[in-house]
Amino acid sequence: MPHLRERAIAILAGCLVPAVALLALEIAARSGAVNPTFLPPPSAILDSLRDVVLSGKFALPLGQTLLLLFIGYGIGAFAAICLGVLMGSSRAIYNLLEPLIELLRPLPKPALLPSLILFLGLGAKMEVTIVALGCFFPVLINTLQGVRAVEPTMINTARTFGHGTVAIWRRILLPASAPYILAGMRISLGLGLILVVTAEMISGTGGLGDAILTSQRSFLVKESYAWLVILAVLGLLLTWLFTRLEQRLAFWSGPQAR
Amino acid sequence: MSAAALGDKAASVASPTPAGARLRIDEVSKAFLGPDGGAVEAIGSVSLDIEPGEFLAIVGPSGCGKSTLLQVIAGLMQPSGGKILLGGQDVTGEPAHMVYLFQQYSTSLLPWMTVEANVMFAFNHRLKLGKAEAVARCRAYLAMVGLADFVRHYPWQLSGGMQQRVAIARALAAEPKVLLMDEPFSSVDALTRLDLHALILDLWAAKRFTAVLVTHDVDEAIFLADRVAVLTHRPAALAEVVATKLPRPRRSIETRESPEFLALRHRLLDYLLARGKDGSHASPA
Repeated sequence: MPHLRERAIAILAGCLVPAVALLALEIAARSGAVNPTFLPPPSAILDSLRDVVLSGKFALPLGQTLLLLFIGYGIGAFAAICLGVLMGSSRAIYNLLEPLIELLRPLPKPALLPSLILFLGLGAKMEVTIVALGCFFPVLINTLQGVRAVEPTMINTARTFGHGTVAIWRRILLPASAPYILAGMRISLGLGLILVVTAEMISGTGGLGDAILTSQRSFLVKESYAWLVILAVLGLLLTWLFTRLEQRLAFWSGPQAR
Repeated sequence: MSAAALGDKAASVASPTPAGARLRIDEVSKAFLGPDGGAVEAIGSVSLDIEPGEFLAIVGPSGCGKSTLLQVIAGLMQPSGGKILLGGQDVTGEPAHMVYLFQQYSTSLLPWMTVEANVMFAFNHRLKLGKAEAVARCRAYLAMVGLADFVRHYPWQLSGGMQQRVAIARALAAEPKVLLMDEPFSSVDALTRLDLHALILDLWAAKRFTAVLVTHDVDEAIFLADRVAVLTHRPAALAEVVATKLPRPRRSIETRESPEFLALRHRLLDYLLARGKDGSHASPA
């Protein structure tokens, strides 16, 4: 199986750079080239990571972060798809809302945290809201473009077979714009993770962001890095899962279908 | 079937219980809003009577509004004036018994559906057949176009000619009384086109739907149709309607070499090319 061998070689090559980097950090920390208090050797971080994982200490912050992320992401994406569909199909609604959206969209969402804290206080409500707001815009813009990009021939085809408005939405417009919507949702997922962690750091009411900051402030630098590793793995896993989902749902829009 | 007599318009009516419906285009006109706010006339005023089970071709110079006319007939566009009658009934909206076959098969077939699901899309929202029955019907129509083995494929896995065959099977699976064809053979290669011509004639002979074909290909129009309607430059008006009177069944090679075919071809091309020079300033659609 030459194909399998090629893949194995590619994976090994991809692991080589991180391995060399870890080794360099290990040497740098142990030789005193960098201050080991600020950057402990990876082997020490690994020990701390093992403790955090095996003791089960990781579960609560991870679970909390995931839960808040998914609630905020779900609300933001759902609202964006609904509004995007409306704006994509009606010029009037688009003209009405477009200026406001173009004003709010480029605003860095963490800048909204102070005022959100005024309204919602510290904690889950504020965290979910900031995630929802951040996830909203990329999905909205993509949904809007996706709906507009639907081939008129597809809609006319449905009409000529006597499909009604609801069926055209459900069976033509939504599936046809799905690749755009999913691409927007992929961007939003990464954005949502950034925002939930940022909000947790400010809020100090639990979650991975809180764990990273609190352990660093308590001089548990190794543990702080261990939380960082958990966060990195989470990000990697979410991206991988979403890409798989995207390939499944929009299988027909890939390069093989062109 | 007395094939020799079928070239005549009257004879096609006499064929046993045609499934097609009479289509009447009554002083239909269509104007669009131009870029400067004024009205641009696409169709002047066109009247045509199409017999049940007849095969009518509409030819005209490029950009003359023949596709617009077909879309008005299909109810995909509202006429500015006049009306369409199907079997004596006024047509409003998208009529249930007319199906439109598009030139762009690659965007008309839905890429997220299998070939089978695409065909089912044509009828099962109306018929609500059980799964097994619906599948059987899909397969029957796909078998008619020679694609029974491709039910599980996706359209983009097939060649252009095969995709247009799926589109034809899907159109016929709706069992239309009128099949409207908008240059359906112009996006495939020359040999595939001859194949598809023979296929559509076979299916038409079997099903006897009323067929209206819009094309810029004079050979195609003469080869397929009972009558050829020639449109003028924009705004489109009817220049003349010619009965081809060629015997059926038509043969891919022999019919195209017959003196009658060549004489008709000469006459129509002569007309269209002369017109093309007059109106060369006209903007193509």
